[in-house]
Amino acid sequence: MARETGWERSRDPVGIWEHRGKVALASRGHAPTDRRWDGVSMDKTLGAYTIIAANAAIEDAGIKPSDIDGIITSPGGQPGGAPIGDTWGPVRPYFAPPYNTEDGLTQVTGEWLARQMGLKNVRYFNSHGDTIWNLIGLAAQCVGDGRCNVALVTYPTGNLEGRYHRNPDTRVRGPAQWSSPWGWGLSGQGFTFEQYCRKYGSNHDRMAPFVVQEHKNGLLWPGSYYAQHEPQPFTTEDYLNGRWIAQNLSIFDCDRPVNTAAAYIVTTAERARDMRHKPVYILDHTESTFQPRSLVQDLDDTEAFCKVQAERSYAGSGLRPKDIDIFLPYDGFAVFTQYFIEAFRWRGVNKGEAHDLYAMDITPQGPNPLNTGGGNMGTGRMRTAFFSDPIEQIQGRAGARQAKKAEIAVTHGVLPGNAATIVMSSTPG
Amino acid sequence: MAILLSFDIDGTLEVGDPPGGITMEMVRRAYEAGYLIASCSDRALSSQKAMWARYNIPAVFTASKHQLPNMRAAITADAYYHIGDRDTDEQIAAENGFGFWWNHEGVSEPWLTLQTPHGVQTPGGEDVSG
Amino acid sequence: MPRPVPAPDPLSKPFWDACAQGKLMVQKCTMCDRKQFPPEATCRNCGWAFNLTWIPTSGRGTIVGYSVTYDTRINAWVPDQPFNNAVIALEEDPAIKFHSNLPGVKVNEVPVGAKVEVYFLDLEDGIKLPEWKLVHH
Repeated sequence: MARETGWERSRDPVGIWEHRGKVALASRGHAPTDRRWDGVSMDKTLGAYTIIAANAAIEDAGIKPSDIDGIITSPGGQPGGAPIGDTWGPVRPYFAPPYNTEDGLTQVTGEWLARQMGLKNVRYFNSHGDTIWNLIGLAAQCVGDGRCNVALVTYPTGNLEGRYHRNPDTRVRGPAQWSSPWGWGLSGQGFTFEQYCRKYGSNHDRMAPFVVQEHKNGLLWPGSYYAQHEPQPFTTEDYLNGRWIAQNLSIFDCDRPVNTAAAYIVTTAERARDMRHKPVYILDHTESTFQPRSLVQDLDDTEAFCKVQAERSYAGSGLRPKDIDIFLPYDGFAVFTQYFIEAFRWRGVNKGEAHDLYAMDITPQGPNPLNTGGGNMGTGRMRTAFFSDPIEQIQGRAGARQAKKAEIAVTHGVLPGNAATIVMSSTPG
Repeated sequence: MAILLSFDIDGTLEVGDPPGGITMEMVRRAYEAGYLIASCSDRALSSQKAMWARYNIPAVFTASKHQLPNMRAAITADAYYHIGDRDTDEQIAAENGFGFWWNHEGVSEPWLTLQTPHGVQTPGGEDVSG
Repeated sequence: MPRPVPAPDPLSKPFWDACAQGKLMVQKCTMCDRKQFPPEATCRNCGWAFNLTWIPTSGRGTIVGYSVTYDTRINAWVPDQPFNNAVIALEEDPAIKFHSNLPGVKVNEVPVGAKVEVYFLDLEDGIKLPEWKLVHH
């Protein structure tokens, strides 16, 4: 299906969202989280896990599968729907249906899901793929516009290799001709962070309290890879002993690839009120994409991009920084999270001050509940702690992670140059 | 005579993810034969320590991948070997004077032959008399 | 292992042809009076292609920051790890950036703020790759 455009709220002035408080997140569901698929267990494929997550979200909402009339998904978790790792075929043979194509193995389209789950009442499919922030924004807009009333949003994240792309090319074409000959890759993250530290007098060690706290939060969230497989605490010593990938990006600033899926029910506020848990009202969604002027996105570009998107989000929701109880900025890579915090001026944090915030109390129960679900650092590269946690927070069922005040939560991802922000609330505003 | 064996974890040991071919029983056998056991992995140090504690094998050192030289500096041995499954394992071993076995070579426990009647065979091939 | 070699395409060919002659060129939109690099089919400011031309640069710049790569995803670069990744801002328009490994500069001893000038490395396929060296006064 061709990618739909025009739904994004990306043109200033965006104005208050026309469906503010009229659309809600009703539930969340998760599959188990593995490091990678073993290539053998057909009950642990990305498709099987997406079905588990979808059924869990349906059950969590207290509805029937027949209530679902829309499916919005990112088949491989990436923009364009592509998987982040290798495909299964054609180098390896496919399996018996429904695993006779990539669908179900390294991507999971809405159409595949509807067939396997017998969802016969779906009248709106959108498998164009994007990040989870864009998917929730799209779902909110679709429900608000009346394209569907009960949308199932699924977000599978797999990685067959369990590691990120290797580049074997000796001849480089297209954009790579401007970077690979100089070995430029993740150096971009290290470069911008080095500029940040030099400009504001900080250093990489000051990231430790943030990443350590994220791991603590992640261990308290059952969906986390670490909670399920490596439950021992991650310490400051661990962080400070991380090796450089590209200075100042350490291995513990990078998220661990996982094989899992999550699902959400997005519906009208009216329908949500009749579901199992209290509605998490969506007050706004906004999106943005930027391109740096030249080869490299430097600190000035990064700060400028983040500022535009933060101001767009505040204009769209009508909120101010002090209204945000829980802030959930993306962290995969952890070294760019400070740009988001500073752009949103959360807790009054200005440029160059985010690392000071990290040194303060950022526990879920403290005055600055930051990434209360653990982000990607504390959960693995599933990206869905950014939604499942605030849903649980606002619904008052976050358990040991429960923040004292959880009325407004804002999550923002995925990159400074390609971002979306979702504003969630315990009331319709 | 002391021989230090540094194990990578993921892709090398059976308890890694992905699992490697070297069993914890093989590691235990080496430990009981007097080898110094250590790990050098991309896992967090606390995760490495928890693994050794779980199997009750006292590791003399745990290190991140870039810290193999620290291991050498901290632990006195007559010979040092690293076992891993990645190019980076081979590279750090070579850079730091460690002998190296690939994970698939390790399953035959080649370290058990290092103790010769004359002493210990070093990565350079010479015997260090005991 | 040699570094990856650029494969010119119709858009980039003028750039690489100029490099082969020892010249560092960038695009310029004569209507917007705006430089552009890397090259694109249209001016990113006005959206038109008609006024895009290629102009030579001074070949001088400033190091504005750097990273050091220890674990690259680019296989060809693995044997050279760790290596510097510096970013160079063009003297006459600092918004225009170039990459450099600063050959000869020790790893992690990159002098941010230092002046540099371009030179060209011979790669395979007749490609000459722009690189940068410190200007010593």
